Amino acid sequence: MKYLVIALLLCLIGCSTTVPVTAKFPEAPNTIQQQCPPLQKLKDDAKLSEVANTVTLNYSTYYECSVKVDGWIEWYQVQKQIFESVK
Amino acid sequence: MWILSFLPDWIFYAILALGFIAPVFARFLPPIYKPPVQIVSILMIVFGLFMAGAIHDNAAWVERVNEMKAKVAEAEAKGKEANVKVETKVVTKTQVIKQKAQIVRQYIDREITKYDSQCVIPKEFVKAHNDAAEVPEK
Repeated sequence: MKYLVIALLLCLIGCSTTVPVTAKFPEAPNTIQQQCPPLQKLKDDAKLSEVANTVTLNYSTYYECSVKVDGWIEWYQVQKQIFESVK
Repeated sequence: MWILSFLPDWIFYAILALGFIAPVFARFLPPIYKPPVQIVSILMIVFGLFMAGAIHDNAAWVERVNEMKAKVAEAEAKGKEANVKVETKVVTKTQVIKQKAQIVRQYIDREITKYDSQCVIPKEFVKAHNDAAEVPEK
C-alpha cells in the first residue's frame, strides 16, 4: 500500500506542464498617439483674413486628426492580421 | 514536467530496463526474496513506462513551445515593420496637409487681406463659428 501511494504521487508529477510563451502587446507608433488639438476660435473683432486663416487652420487640424485616426485603423487591422497568423 | 528538468532522461530508461531485468535475476535468489523483487520490478516498470511517455510528451511540448516562440518573434518583427509603415504614412500625409495649409495662408495674406477694410464680420458670425468650434461638453 505504501509503495502504491508513492507510485501514485510520482504519477501526479506528470500533471505540472506549463507553456512559457507570452506575446507582448504591440506598441503603437508615437505619431498616432498624440491627442487632437482643439479647434481655433475667432476674436470678436476678427477681420476677414483672420476668419479665413482660422478656418484654414481648423480644416488642416481636422485633416491632421483624420490622418491619425486612419493610422490607428490601419495599425489595428495590420496588428490583428499578424496576431491571428500566430496560431 | 519539473522532474525532467533536473534528472537526465537515461535514468528513467534505466529504471524501466532494470524493472524488466530484475525478475530474471530474482530466479537466482532465495525464494524469500522473490516477491519483494517482483513488486519492486513492477513498480519500476510502471514508473519507467510513465516517465518514458512523459519524456516523449515533454519533447513534443518543447518543440511546440520553440515553434511558438519563433512565431511570436516573427510576429513582433512584422508588427514593428508595420509600425514603421504606418508612421511614415502618417508623417508624409501630415506634411502634405501642413504644406497645403501654408499655401492657402499665403494666398489669404496676399489676396484676402485686401478686403479686410471693406468687409465687416458680424458678431453673430463670430459667435456661430466659435460655438461650432467649441468642444462639446459631456
